[in-house]
Parts: sequence; C-alpha cells; structure tokens
Amino acid sequence: MTTLRPILSALRRHKIAALLIVLEIALAFAIVSNALYIVVGRLQRIDLPSGIDEPGLVLLQLATAGAGRGTVASAQADLAALRAIPGVESATAINSLPLSHSQWGLIYALHPMRTFSGGVQAPVYFGGPDLLKTLGVRMLQGMSFPPSAYRDLTPQNAFKIFVAARQALITQAYAKRLWPHANAVGKIMYMGETPVQVIGVVSNIIKPYISANAHDPGNYYAVFSPFRAAPDLNAWYALRCRPAVCPRVLKAAAGKLQAMHPTETLNAQESFMHMRQRYFRNDRAMAWLLAGTVLALLAVTAVGIVGLASFWVQQRTRQIGVRRALGARRVDILRYFQTENFLLATAGIALGCAAAIGINVWLMAHYAVPRLPILYLPIGAVALWTLGQFAVLGPALRAARVPPTVAMRAA
Amino acid sequence: MSLYHLRLALQALRNSPVLTALMVLALAVGIGASMTMLTVLHVLSGDPLPGRSAHLYYPQIDPRPLGSGGNANPEPPGLLTYIDAENLLHQGKAARAAVMYQGGDVVQPPSGSALHPFVVNSRLTGRDFFSMFEVPFRYGAPWSAADDAGAAHVAVISQKLDRKLFGGADSVGRMLDYGGHSFRIVGVLAHWRPVPRFYDLNASRFGQVEDVFIPFNTARALNLGIEGSTNCYGRPGKDLDTSPCGYIQMWVQLDSRRAAAAYKRFLADYSAQQHAAGRFQRPPNVRLDDLMQWLAYRHVVPDDVRMQAWLALGFLLVCVVNTVGLLLAKFLRRSGEIGVRRALGASRRAIFAQLLIEAGMIGAAGAVLGLLLTMLGLYLVRRQPSGYAHLAHLQPSMLLATLALALLASLVAGLLPAWRASRIAPALQIKSA
Amino acid sequence: MLDMRNVSKIYRTTTVETHALRDFSLDVREGEFVAVTGPSGSGKTTFLTIAGLLEELTHGEYVLDGVDVHGLDDNQRSRLRNEKIGFIFQAFNLIPDLNVLDNVEVPLHYRRGIGAAERRRRATQALERVGLSARVRHYPAELSGGQQQRVAIARALAGSPRLLLADEPTGNLDTAMARGVMDLIEELHREGATVVMVTHDPDLAARAERNVHIVDGMASGIIEEPSMRPAVRAQGEGAFRIPGAED
Repeated sequence: MTTLRPILSALRRHKIAALLIVLEIALAFAIVSNALYIVVGRLQRIDLPSGIDEPGLVLLQLATAGAGRGTVASAQADLAALRAIPGVESATAINSLPLSHSQWGLIYALHPMRTFSGGVQAPVYFGGPDLLKTLGVRMLQGMSFPPSAYRDLTPQNAFKIFVAARQALITQAYAKRLWPHANAVGKIMYMGETPVQVIGVVSNIIKPYISANAHDPGNYYAVFSPFRAAPDLNAWYALRCRPAVCPRVLKAAAGKLQAMHPTETLNAQESFMHMRQRYFRNDRAMAWLLAGTVLALLAVTAVGIVGLASFWVQQRTRQIGVRRALGARRVDILRYFQTENFLLATAGIALGCAAAIGINVWLMAHYAVPRLPILYLPIGAVALWTLGQFAVLGPALRAARVPPTVAMRAA
Repeated sequence: MSLYHLRLALQALRNSPVLTALMVLALAVGIGASMTMLTVLHVLSGDPLPGRSAHLYYPQIDPRPLGSGGNANPEPPGLLTYIDAENLLHQGKAARAAVMYQGGDVVQPPSGSALHPFVVNSRLTGRDFFSMFEVPFRYGAPWSAADDAGAAHVAVISQKLDRKLFGGADSVGRMLDYGGHSFRIVGVLAHWRPVPRFYDLNASRFGQVEDVFIPFNTARALNLGIEGSTNCYGRPGKDLDTSPCGYIQMWVQLDSRRAAAAYKRFLADYSAQQHAAGRFQRPPNVRLDDLMQWLAYRHVVPDDVRMQAWLALGFLLVCVVNTVGLLLAKFLRRSGEIGVRRALGASRRAIFAQLLIEAGMIGAAGAVLGLLLTMLGLYLVRRQPSGYAHLAHLQPSMLLATLALALLASLVAGLLPAWRASRIAPALQIKSA
Repeated sequence: MLDMRNVSKIYRTTTVETHALRDFSLDVREGEFVAVTGPSGSGKTTFLTIAGLLEELTHGEYVLDGVDVHGLDDNQRSRLRNEKIGFIFQAFNLIPDLNVLDNVEVPLHYRRGIGAAERRRRATQALERVGLSARVRHYPAELSGGQQQRVAIARALAGSPRLLLADEPTGNLDTAMARGVMDLIEELHREGATVVMVTHDPDLAARAERNVHIVDGMASGIIEEPSMRPAVRAQGEGAFRIPGAED
C-alpha cells in the first residue's frame, strides 16, 4: 500500500514540474468553472418561459406607406378576414411582442411624480379585446377592460393618448414589485402625475428584451393598456391556432393579407417559436463557443498532464524497476502515479478555487455576470480530478509495465 | 545562431515526433483561439474614420426635469429634442454640423418594375453629413444648402438601392417613391461601410448604412416616421417636435482643440440660458465626446466579445504553461546528452541558445498551424448570428501579430526549461537513472 | 532454501535464440553463503534475475523456501520477492527522491498488515544494524558510495527476508568502502543470514563458503572452500549439487 508522505517528499524534489502541473490545473479550473457558469446562465436565459402559449402563435407584420394606410379601421377589416381562415382561433393586432426587441415603455410609481424618473419601468402591451386570449395570458385577479374602454391609437395622437390611459392590467411580477404585501387590484399607480387604476392582475409575460440575468424578476414586468393598435404604428397581427395547423394558417394569412394589400409589403411572417429562437441565437452561439473553448482547454490540460507524466515515468524507469524488485505489484506502481496525480490536481484545484472566485469578482465588476454559485467549485473539481486520472492512466500503465529486471541493469 | 544549432534542434524535434506534435498542436490551439477573438475585438474596436475621428464630436445637453428618483442616470441623454437640435445647429459655431434621425418606410418601385414594394431604412439629415464623414459618391453629389433650407424633395440613395431599383445605372434625376412621397434623386453613394456604424449607435451598430438619405427639414415637414428610439422625459404633447422627447443625433466637426473647448463652452452657455428662461430645470450638464470617446462611452464593443477575448487570453496562458511543462520534460529527458555536450566543451550559453532555438522552431510551427486555426476560427465566427459576425476577417496586421505572438509565446515558454536544462552538470557518461 | 534443478533461460527475439542459462542446478541451504562467479556475459546476471524472481525460467524447477515458483503469476511473484528476498545491487539502486529512512521503508510499503509505526520501527532497526542511524534524513546523493550501499543493505534487511541476493555489492566502491561492505555482509552471514552473491571478483568470492562458477550459462567447475564444505560434486551436465541435500 502506498501512503501519501513518500509521494509528497518525492514531489518536493521535482518542484518545477510539479508546480507547472498545479498551475495548469489551477488555471484550467478557474477558467472552466467561470465559463461553465456563463454557459449555464445563457442556457437558462434560452429556457426562460415567455408566459405566453408559444406553440400556437403565429405573427405577421404589414409595412404600410403613406398617410391613411394601415389604420385601425383597415386593421379591423384585416383581422376579420384573418379570423375567417380555417384553424384561426383568435386574432389581434398588438403593438409589440415579447422577445421582439421593440418596446413601448413607461414608468409607473406609487406616488404622483413631476417627471418620469423614480418609478419602475415596464413595457406596455396593447391590442384589442382579444389580446389576452390570443397570447394565452391568464387573468389571475380582477377583470379585464370592458369593451367600451378601448380607444384607437394613431400616429397623430399616439404620443399624447398613450400616456393618458386611466386603467391598466399588470403582471403578477409587476404587482409584486409595486405592492409586495397587498392585493394590487383597485390600487392606484401614477404615470407622471396621471393616476392609473389597476383593474386586474394577469399571469407573467416576458419583456420585448430581457436583462442578462435570467433570474431578474424585472424580466416579467408588464402593463396592458386599453388601446387598439394598427400597422401604421408597426403593430403585429398575432393569430392563435392549433400548433399542428399553424404552418398552414400562417401561409394562408400571408396570402390573404398580400391579396388585400397588393401595394404594401409583408415585413415579417413567422411563428413565435421562430422569433424566440432568433432572440436567443446570440446566447446559444455564445454558449456553444464557450463550451467548445472549455473542451479545448481541458484537452490541452490533458496533453500537458500526459506529457509531464510520461516524462516522469521515463525519468523514474529505474526506480520503478527497483520498486518492482523490492516487491511492488504492478497495481502498486499504477496507484503510485494515480495518487501523485490526484495530489497535484488537488493542489491545483485549491489554487484554482481562489482564482475562480477572483475572476468571478472581476467579471461581476465589469460585465453583467452574477456571483458564481459555490456549487460550481465542486463540479469543476470533480471534472479536473477525473481529467487528471484519465490523462495519467496511459503513462501510469506504461510505468506498471516496467519489468523488475530494469533494476539489474548496470548504472 | 549557427546552422549547426538549427540542425541539432531539428534532429531533436524529429527524435520525439509525438511530443513535438502535441506541443505544436497545443500552442496552435491557444494561438488560434486567442487570435480569433482578438481579431474580432480589433475589428470591432477599430476607428471608423481614421484621420478624421479626432475632429468629430457628439454634443449632449441635459433638458430633463429635476427627477425625484435618485436612480436616474446623471449623464445627459444621448438624444436631442427637436427644439434643442435646431437651436444648436443654428447657434453653434462648428466647421460642419448635421442633425439626424433614422426612419424606415416602404419604397414603391417605379411603375413597370417587377419588384414588390419593400421596406428600407433611411437617414434623415443635413448635407454636412456627407462631407463631414467623407461619404464617397458614385453618381451625383449631396443636395445643396438651399435644398436643406427649403426642405426640398430630394434624396441620395445607396449603391445597393440603385442596383435594386435601376440596375446600377446613374439614377441622378430620377424619382424615388419613399413612404408615399416622391423625391428627386441627386446622388448615389459608392460602397460605404463604416465599422461600427458610429453616427447612430441606437440602431444596428455593425449593420449597413441606410439606403435612403433625405434632408432633415424635408423629413420633419412630411412628418416621416422615426425608426430609432424616442425617449420622453415629460408628458408628450400632440406634436412630437414640441414635446420633451429626444430622438435626434447630432454631430459637429471641430478642427482644433480650441474650437472643441469653445463649442463645449457654448453648450454650457446654451444650457444656462435655457435654464434662465425656465425651459431647463437642471443646471448645465453637457458632454462633448470625440468619436472614439463616444464609442467607448457607449460600450460599442459588445460585452460578449470582450469576455471572449479575456477567455481566449486565459486559454493562451494555459497553453503557454502547458508548453513550458512539455518543453521542460523534453529538455530534461535529454539530460544525459546535454551533460556529455557540456563535458565536451559546450558552454551553458550554447546549450541555452540551442534549446531556445528548438523552442522557437516549435513556435514557428505553432504559428503556421495557429494561423490556419485562426482562419478556421474566424470562419466559424462569420457563421455566427451576431450583427458583427460577417466583419470577422483576418487583416494583415493581425496576421503578423499572430505569427509574432506564437513565436513570442514559445520563446517565453522556452526560457525556464532552457535555463533549467543549461544548468545540467557536465558528465562523461550518459546515465540512465 | 534455494533449490534450482535443470533450470534453463532462453531469450528469444524474432531472429535469435539466446541460451543465457542451460540446465543449471544449485541448492543453497539455510545459513549458507554462496558466491556465484564467472566472466561477464556468462549468465551470472540471468541466474540472479531467475533466483530473484525478476524473470520466469524457461525450463526446469525452482523451489524457494519451500514454494515452487513455477506457474506463479506476477502478483504472487511480487509478494514472494517482497517477503523472502532482500536485494543488494551493484548500483545501490536507492531512490534519489527519498531520504534514507523512506528508502529503507520502501519494501515494507508493499507488505500487507504493517502500519506506519511498525514500518518506522523496522526501518530504524535496520539502519541501526548497518550503523547509519545518524543519517536517516539525508538523501542518497548526500552519502558516500559505501554509505549508500549500507542503506541498500538496511533496505534488504528491513523486510526480514529469508535470502539475501547480492549482485556485485562492491562493484561501484573503492577498496576501503568495499571492505567495509563485505565485512558487513559476512557479519550478517555469521548471524545466520543465507547469502547468495554474484561476482566476477575471485577475491570476493573467496570470502564465501562455497563458489559456483558459470561459463556460457553452465556451471563449469568447482572452486572449493576446503575448510568449509568439500563435498560438492558434479551432477548431470556439469551442474553441481550439495551431496547431503540429495537424499
């Protein structure tokens, strides 16, 4: 049986090579644990629920040119035609969409304010009475707007009227932010000095663009206002359909809109799933890139371990033979090198922990990277221990095959 | 370095082909990864207008009301209101100046064209835009000062749009139907692709320039829609141009430091005057960044790219440490040979030099392979979805930097092992122990 | 104790077959001190590797301390080496990375059921026996050749082996040191140790009770120590056996 002390004292006689392995493992550990954390953060962002019923939602956007085109009246006609397409369950025009990058935002506060600053910003979604149903957003408390509450928004009046709404629905997350301990329904919030009554709380819906932190509750702040939107304000047509028939519905809808507006152009026609995928493609690319780099880094580290371990085996061929002559079994030799590698990896991991935390603190200060959860350290440690054991296996097996007769050769 | 040293080094490398290959490969991977990322960083943080950027400035003033919240950004907003933009344009003393915003609308192809109507982005600005940024023209010229003042229905179009609508012919004098209005084309741009698209960082930062350019005054008179951001700090009125809403970018050309200092004073004076008149609530709060300062202030280089560059440097560091270890192993394996050479009269310096040459040769091989990997890496980056991806090409300067970095890395990595091996004592026999 | 009968060792490569040992027989009794001599290349070293269980024999029979080594696997041979044999090498073969005490403890690490304290006790005792208790913290490179060989002897003794196998134990030492080491080996013999020593040096061989001479892999003649044991006679093709052991 081998014990640690003689291995340690042997390592003390090979300080440079031992330090190099420790350093390499430490660096790899520090980089790998941080990179993995960023990868997981990105993957969590990609997986964030949008709060809407995604598979059955398709979107079209009509680009219109010139005054009097793409108005609310023309949108009503478009929507009526779209609802007539077989498979369409409901249809609405909406000013902006989750994960679309384009948002109308307002700031609401608990007290009247002379300026817009100081409150909590939220994207504002508006469409017609069918909006919630089409998106798949649920009423949780209170009630939605009465049909008579809806007003038309036009390019001429948009800026003035948009900020003048007196009633709103807000998401659960936003309600919790403004009134953490009370029921929001019936409460008054202020847009500047304008009082706005919360008449209902709806299930969460994600913002048009979200923060880097997947766990930020602000990603789900949203306010719904009682307006009708139209293509002249870059509104989207959103159609709900059974997922199986959605591709067909989208095609039919595009054909119908194009036929109704031969001189306009369809700016976009896609499923919400597709829009979502587009939104997160940078995150996905970054995750792949980091994962690839992590793998390459581990490979390089393994090469380093194999190289130095091979050298050590070669350098110690004679003493391996002597140990064999003195009664060491092959497995004893194997274990010696494995234990040695384990000790070096452990030292590297200990050093790497400090470096990993240092790098994370630096990343937090300079980039939108949250604190590294402590869980990543043991995961990284196991990864590098395993890597070390795999890398040293080849040289260690070669060492175990050194015949005891080596001890007999003349020095 | 003598030929003999070179031959010895080559011989030594050939004697352990696997180890040599592993070292070259590890170094090349490190070089490839870091140079790929550094090239992207270099491309994105480049100067879009070399030679001119130092004279171009982005003025900012602060018309916001006093906020009751403490979390508001203390820096002045990045967009000007219509009133302030007009005032600065007409009262400021700059060699050149242009206000601008981004629009987007439908282009109706000329009658008889098989094309369907399509949406393009437009830049609604003044004629100084073209001279200030040295925008190259293929046909025609910018519109005149009179066109600016008189809100003439004229347009400059991109080469791309000219090709699409008119097959690349000289379209000066022909009509463009944009947003339901007719404009007489006065100029067609030659290829122009500033990276980043510095003049408006709210829109696509690494995208192409707009396809249609129309005088700012014309655009306001026709109320052409805003495609970029609009930020209101107070309750908007019926008319956007009288509302407390910023949507306009402004650039000025100031040819000396003195002129820049004077212009900054002017911004402060203007703010004080507006404050006195009761239009501004805050004391003067101005900024006047030159182009490169403006890019830095707005964090034009994406955080992802910076993080990737740091990651790549860390990777390179691991590769260098790795190379140090492998070189140490390689050199010390030859302890016996080195001992005999020392006994036969080789000085420490000679051993050191010979081993460094060996390290350098590994570096040279790593450089060549690393260059190939860099090209592969950039090819992969170009296939990424990010807006800047297509810009990732290897420039001659970065090519040289790659070779230099690989050689430097290998020599640095070789120092410690070569020093250690050169201290091997002279020996008359090759011991196996 | 060590009983070899008609042992052959053949090294085969694809083109050459080398008979390093042919029909070699030798019986060493408990407490004996036997020198195996011969010119270089005669098969002395091969004899040692077979006797020390470092290699397997090709033909013949070898019983070590009552254990027939034929057919033992590598692990069993390792264990037998560890428990029954103490090696003394010409080149000392100390492990340069370990200090004296750790070197002496090496074989004890490979034996089951010995704790750290017991290892320490035995190693210290062995070092006392060779007169090097004062040097336990030194590294081999800090010792003279004679001292290194004493450490190696202590290492051989630490495991309380049944048989000491010495390979040119003074080959790397100057005369004075060599004398000291040989005195120590003789002393161990007088205390009851069984010693088999391989050497090309007739003066050293003369200090053994009995000599066996190998030429071309075969025992070729008798060099007797008349005062001790005259009755060694040839058997078979030039092999030698001790008459008393035959019965």
